[in-house]
Amino acid sequence: MESIDFKLFVEVDNNPFILFDASGHILYLNNAAEMLLCYVSTKELYDLALTYAPKTFGHKSTIHSLEYESFSFYSLMVGYETDEQIYLRLYNKPLVQTKISISNESLIPTDINTLLEANITLFQLESNASISLFVDQELPAFKLDQNYFSIMLRKALSSFVNSPSLNVILKLVVGEYILIDDKKHQMIELILKAPKRTVDYDEEINQLANQTHIASSLKPETIKFQIPLII
Amino acid sequence: MGKEKIELFYSTSTKIQYITKGLELGKSLFVSSLLIGEANIGKKSLVKSIFPEAPWVDGRDMIKLKQALKEHNELIICNFELYGDYNINDFNGKRIIAISDATYFPAHIDSLFAFIYTVPSLKERPEDIKYLGDIFFKEAKSTFMTEDILPLDLKDIDLTYNTKSLKKAIFEHQIYNTITPDKIEQILYNYFEKELGGNNDYAKYLPIFENPLIKAGLAKFGSQLKLSSILGINRNTLRKKVYELGIN
Repeated sequence: MESIDFKLFVEVDNNPFILFDASGHILYLNNAAEMLLCYVSTKELYDLALTYAPKTFGHKSTIHSLEYESFSFYSLMVGYETDEQIYLRLYNKPLVQTKISISNESLIPTDINTLLEANITLFQLESNASISLFVDQELPAFKLDQNYFSIMLRKALSSFVNSPSLNVILKLVVGEYILIDDKKHQMIELILKAPKRTVDYDEEINQLANQTHIASSLKPETIKFQIPLII
Repeated sequence: MGKEKIELFYSTSTKIQYITKGLELGKSLFVSSLLIGEANIGKKSLVKSIFPEAPWVDGRDMIKLKQALKEHNELIICNFELYGDYNINDFNGKRIIAISDATYFPAHIDSLFAFIYTVPSLKERPEDIKYLGDIFFKEAKSTFMTEDILPLDLKDIDLTYNTKSLKKAIFEHQIYNTITPDKIEQILYNYFEKELGGNNDYAKYLPIFENPLIKAGLAKFGSQLKLSSILGINRNTLRKKVYELGIN
């Protein structure tokens, strides 16, 4: 039988795969792992591999929930056949598939900076937090369901109402896309970050985000929205 | 001119300035906003000053409201009923500003409006009481064609009904302090013409004259001894009157 080059399959697999040497240096990583390393350090992943490594040569799968920014994994596999190399493979949590199509009727060309400013103004009525804004004023107008988005953003900001400070970052993400109705859209990222926040509205925020094709990532100190740039 | 000045919304309150900014930003957005807060605190004037051309509809008439929501992309709803039958699609893609005198909102409203502003009452805006007080004083002076009188201490005014209470207190103060004897006589005449009809009315209505006379005299001259000589009556008579009238 002709030998098959399995490396290609690993390369394009959505589940991150990393091969380390004995010192924790990366010998090989696939595309998904390359993306993951934008958000988590090599050392953290190597330590993870060592923690969940089998006691002796071989391969071991562990069901373990892991969250790195917008990446969520439900399981990992670690294996080694020699003392020189160890691999880590992370298995993506299945995503809930949204059946919601884009309804053009509700989408209105929007200057997101104006919408954000109006929401921050409302937030300032209730909060004494000092706000640091890092926004890209040059972002193009794009189509958005303004009412749903504002309700979602109001609730997200409400999570930080008792925080002493709030960092707001709004930027265009290069190289990542959101797929809606089989069409790729560029992505704008809105990050709200503070020393503390309440999680009371998280479920509602996720629902509203889902309804508006926005990927939401809610962490104890951070809320991140990835918004499709629909022109 | 005076009327125009009162209708134009003005406030130095920081909270009101934030609300104004939020509504101004909303002029370029198609979002639904709700303003809640006690009656007579300037919600309608504020909205009118920011959206002078927008059509208005009374939210108490649900049929007219539903029709207006179909016809307009920009709409101001006054007297908005919080428990009305609404769907978020009635509001999506439109610039809606709803105004309600409610001081809280139920959960379903929270999911209907993009922006919910709680407008502070007049009591919470002491800086605005002075400004509005000056406007009402000028209006009262103009209305009654009177000159400056002793200023009213605005801190003592009961502001239960916000600007209405303030205006009422200032107008009453203006009348009480500029009224002439012939007008007092006319007021009493009207009152007695309406009320008289018992069998002991002289004794019943005499305190209306005596009470303010003795109270004001005691406040002005300090002692019953001095007041009795001012009034030209015996001090025992005055003491008896003070006792009968229950004046402290």
